[in-house]
Amino acid sequence: MIKKTLNEKAFHLLKEKMEQGLLPQWVITDPDIYDLEIEKIYGHTWQFLGHETEIKEPGSYVTRWMVNDPVLLVRTRQGEVKAFLNSCTHRGTQLCTADRGNKKTFTCPYHGWSYNLEGELVGIVAGNKVYGEEMDKSEWGLRPIPQVASYQGMIFGNLDPNAESLEDYLGEMKWYFDILLGRSGGMEVRGLPQRWVAKANWKATAENFAADPYHVQTTHRSTVEMGISPEDPLYAGYGHQVVMKNAHGINVITSKTGKARVPFQGTPESMWPLFEKHLTPEQLDIQSKVTVFVGGVYPNLSFVSPIHGTEGHLHNYLNFRMWRPIAPDRVEVWCWFLIDKAAPEEYKEDSYRGYLGSFGPSGTLEQDDTETWARIVEVSKGLMMRDKELNYNSVSNYLMGYSHVKPDENFPGPGTAYPTTYIDALSRKMHEHWLELISKDMFEKEVSR
Amino acid sequence: MSLNVQNKVTADIHLEITNILNMEAYYLDNRKYKEWLELLADTITYRMPLRETVEGVGVSNIAEDSSFFEETKTSLRTRVNRLYTKSAWVENPSTRQRHFITNIYVEATADPDEYKVRSYFLFMRSRASTSDIEQMFGERHDIIRKIDNEWKICSRTIYPDQSVITTMNMSMFL
Ligand code: FES
Ligand SMILES: [Fe+2]
Repeated sequence: MIKKTLNEKAFHLLKEKMEQGLLPQWVITDPDIYDLEIEKIYGHTWQFLGHETEIKEPGSYVTRWMVNDPVLLVRTRQGEVKAFLNSCTHRGTQLCTADRGNKKTFTCPYHGWSYNLEGELVGIVAGNKVYGEEMDKSEWGLRPIPQVASYQGMIFGNLDPNAESLEDYLGEMKWYFDILLGRSGGMEVRGLPQRWVAKANWKATAENFAADPYHVQTTHRSTVEMGISPEDPLYAGYGHQVVMKNAHGINVITSKTGKARVPFQGTPESMWPLFEKHLTPEQLDIQSKVTVFVGGVYPNLSFVSPIHGTEGHLHNYLNFRMWRPIAPDRVEVWCWFLIDKAAPEEYKEDSYRGYLGSFGPSGTLEQDDTETWARIVEVSKGLMMRDKELNYNSVSNYLMGYSHVKPDENFPGPGTAYPTTYIDALSRKMHEHWLELISKDMFEKEVSR
Repeated sequence: MSLNVQNKVTADIHLEITNILNMEAYYLDNRKYKEWLELLADTITYRMPLRETVEGVGVSNIAEDSSFFEETKTSLRTRVNRLYTKSAWVENPSTRQRHFITNIYVEATADPDEYKVRSYFLFMRSRASTSDIEQMFGERHDIIRKIDNEWKICSRTIYPDQSVITTMNMSMFL
């Protein structure tokens, strides 16, 4: 399907510029591009649905969204995780509007059809009296999300039954998930994700989070002014940026000396033997040097594992956030707090407070991020920026470090690791992948390789 | 639960407490955060749990295991100090905000110097020179006490009515 404003010429120009490390700005909030993204990217990639600890007991459920598709994620009586379209098969009504709960059957408020945890239609009001014998209930169960799989407790869904498996999709990222989520034997989610709507485009928030440690020294300068972060403008740049298959990536931020600023990210010493037990020597080496992990799973799941704290104590936690596109210039952010199951209870509580002080809508770091997200979309609708012929040279700059920084062959983890995080390698990869996905089958001649 | 207390909420007390809450709103709306901190007891607990959508009648829809704020005076002071730096971009250029505090209901406790105070809030904010208006609304439950002859807010729990927040961040105090 070719949108009328999206012609082959514009796409070839787009590709040509992107090969030079330049991203034409018209793509940020273009409504036709947005429609293409929803269909071509979100219709075929793995989307995060929730963590296994959010639905612990048989009958536990949460409701989620895969962009505009409502999802009911349940734990069955046998303990299996299943995901269905959260829509009654009778007339399509949204079946369950609660955020979470526990039950045996879901009953539609419209005509009363009810479904069990397996998604089977188990009750029809007045049943055979109105439908006769010929309607086969087994044909009217809830529609399953075509693919559901989990890795390290993280449950994902995919609307494309033919998409590659989750493990193949995550690829090299699994190795880093094993550190982030598996280092002590498993993580748990606390409570509900915080949700809020920000004025932003999902591509920009995903890039900001996963691929842009360069912004830290300016956007988050208030932490420097307050003496919490170092004065050195390079402080978030030490370490490696790792670029992976499918445009996933991670920044392993260390410190000027290459060593951790605080051993094992300020986790309690009692947990360190667990890290040794669960991690390979290479993974342990990374975990012992890192100050902050920050990265993303393409397209719209980002994560950060920092060290933060209030009242003088430093604590580590893991935050995952999903950028749900709701309009070209709006994102609904879903923010989860995770902590090692094995951590002492008091530490978990303190970490949660550290999280609230730093990330999420009330976090002091994230507050300043929201300002820049808004400023990007606020100016993206003008004629100069929207000019697809690029007569005004409205292109964003992704030239940092890319041509002269060579990958570090000695980095112990998989992926292509650059020896700095102040580099546009991952953001370029994300946008190249974006073009590849949205332009697939679009023109007779492929736009991208 | 009917309180078995003799202490009454006199018109004077009600007026004094209302004045304190209005003064607080004035401080917050005029970037007098240091003055605002003075209204809070040193031992304050300042919380804001999430609101959730739950099925059922007569069940709580406050997500007590999930929060936007779990603050002490120290952590609030850190947040306030940040707003006096030059690079807290979320408030520089500053936003314009109003706290509309209404439906103030004061209840006596067994302690003649301590009152339970419930109030509603409507928070509105204008950011940059755009036509967007942001808002949030809900309810606050406070414990307000007279300490050394001054009213201090000893605890506050903020209950937002939205489960999906529509302000683009929560840099405000409520
Ligand atoms: S739409 Fe659900 S029972 Fe009719
Ligand atoms: Fe940031």
